[in-house]
Amino acid sequence: MNLFILYIDPGSGSFLFQLLIAGGLAVSFYFKKIRETLLKWFRAFFYSPDKPE
Amino acid sequence: MFFLPGSFRDPNGGVFSDQNKIYRWISPRHEPHYRHLMDSGLYDKLVNKGWLIPHQEVKNEGFGLPPDYRVIEPEKISFISYPYEWSFGQYRDTAILTLKIQRLAMEHGMSLRDASAFNIQFHNGRVVFIDTTSFEILQPGRPWVAYGQFCRHFLAPLALMACDLRLGTMMQQYADGIPLDLAYRLLPLRMKIKSGLSIHLFFHGRSGNGKNAAPPQNSLAFSPAAFQGLINSLENTLKKLTVKRQVSTWENYYKSMIISDDYLLKKKEIITQWIKNIHPVYTWDLGANDATFSRIAAEYGLTVALDSDSLAVEWGYQKVCSENISNLLPLRMDLANPSPGLGWANEERTAWLNRPLPQLTLALALVHHLVIGNNLPLAELARFFSRISPQLIIEFIPKSDPKIREMLAFREDIFPEYHPAGFEEIFSVYFTIEEKQTIPHSERILYLMQRKTGME
Repeated sequence: MNLFILYIDPGSGSFLFQLLIAGGLAVSFYFKKIRETLLKWFRAFFYSPDKPE
Repeated sequence: MFFLPGSFRDPNGGVFSDQNKIYRWISPRHEPHYRHLMDSGLYDKLVNKGWLIPHQEVKNEGFGLPPDYRVIEPEKISFISYPYEWSFGQYRDTAILTLKIQRLAMEHGMSLRDASAFNIQFHNGRVVFIDTTSFEILQPGRPWVAYGQFCRHFLAPLALMACDLRLGTMMQQYADGIPLDLAYRLLPLRMKIKSGLSIHLFFHGRSGNGKNAAPPQNSLAFSPAAFQGLINSLENTLKKLTVKRQVSTWENYYKSMIISDDYLLKKKEIITQWIKNIHPVYTWDLGANDATFSRIAAEYGLTVALDSDSLAVEWGYQKVCSENISNLLPLRMDLANPSPGLGWANEERTAWLNRPLPQLTLALALVHHLVIGNNLPLAELARFFSRISPQLIIEFIPKSDPKIREMLAFREDIFPEYHPAGFEEIFSVYFTIEEKQTIPHSERILYLMQRKTGME
């Protein structure tokens, strides 16, 4: 079954432009993920509720 | 049965009304997508979060639809509004909701196939997505089909409004969103150099205004990470847009314009008492300014607060959000030039006066703007108000008031009938004056009027 919907003008998605910037977007996504993980790790390490003041 | 003109473009699902209820039909072609929405748990999550309008499935009987069509009955929206009537804050909330929905849809293997600003409404004080048939099963590797539309419908108008709130009305001119090249050209340099706007408006616009780039076939090049990155990037760009400076300038100006606190207090007392007696279930506040008096009516039922000043509407919306008022909807509307019927055959977007009319109208400190500021005859005004609602609370500001003296200082006084007796005589053709009170500490007069039978 073909689930591709043709309701939207097929060109309106700016597909080519998105493919062009896909690499940069993926890098920014991974960069954000890594930053969030590191921040989470640092917070858990330095501000742990079990850690004595 | 009556098919609503705003939805006829979509062959997969359209909206129709029958016996004062709203329904949506879903074609067999869209059925797999609808089933995925319901069975994947996405629908429940969206509804529980208040992001999607809830619906119930009803039998396809007596509607005259093909038997293999599905029919659902979504919760009815009390007052439909359009992007060109929203303040910046309202508009930005709708944009962010669209991205949040897209992100949640992706987690459930779905995606939005369109990102039209007209798919969102304000319902019970919250932004809510109303197009249940916008969800399609996510095709791995395919870029976001609605990206171009999102930029034209949300990013471009919001970037322009961040420069000047009045530019929000451009959405009235461009039915499918503001062309990206035009939006970028109109931005000042300080905004042009923002990385998000450069990418999504300038380079995107250069690639064909988000429209004429043909989709490559069988492409698997757009990774889930790139998709997530795209949504993050759009969200970050939106969150950096602000109108703080514009609003604070207006706030200072507005505070300096209030004639006296005593006047305001007494006016509030009188209006509160009258509204309490009326108990209106649905009110329009025309020339509402920052919606101060609309809030009194909102305690009893839905109140739509209309003002032509985009900054006043923005300020009103900020107060609605901070005070969590669910019954109040501030909107931008120039009463001398209100929203017309727009789109195909002038029927896709309903003209202001063709939307549900209220029980009560508030017209406070408004008449002089329309009569002296816009040369509208009092008789025309009285006829207009009689068309709108059976009950009317209206304020008359005489020529001796400093504000009117200012307005008439540099122009000829061509308003001989503009005095309390003339006002009462003209309005008495259509209305019975039930109450009349001069507001202490001023010469301004408040009237409570009831429309005469047969004057609708």
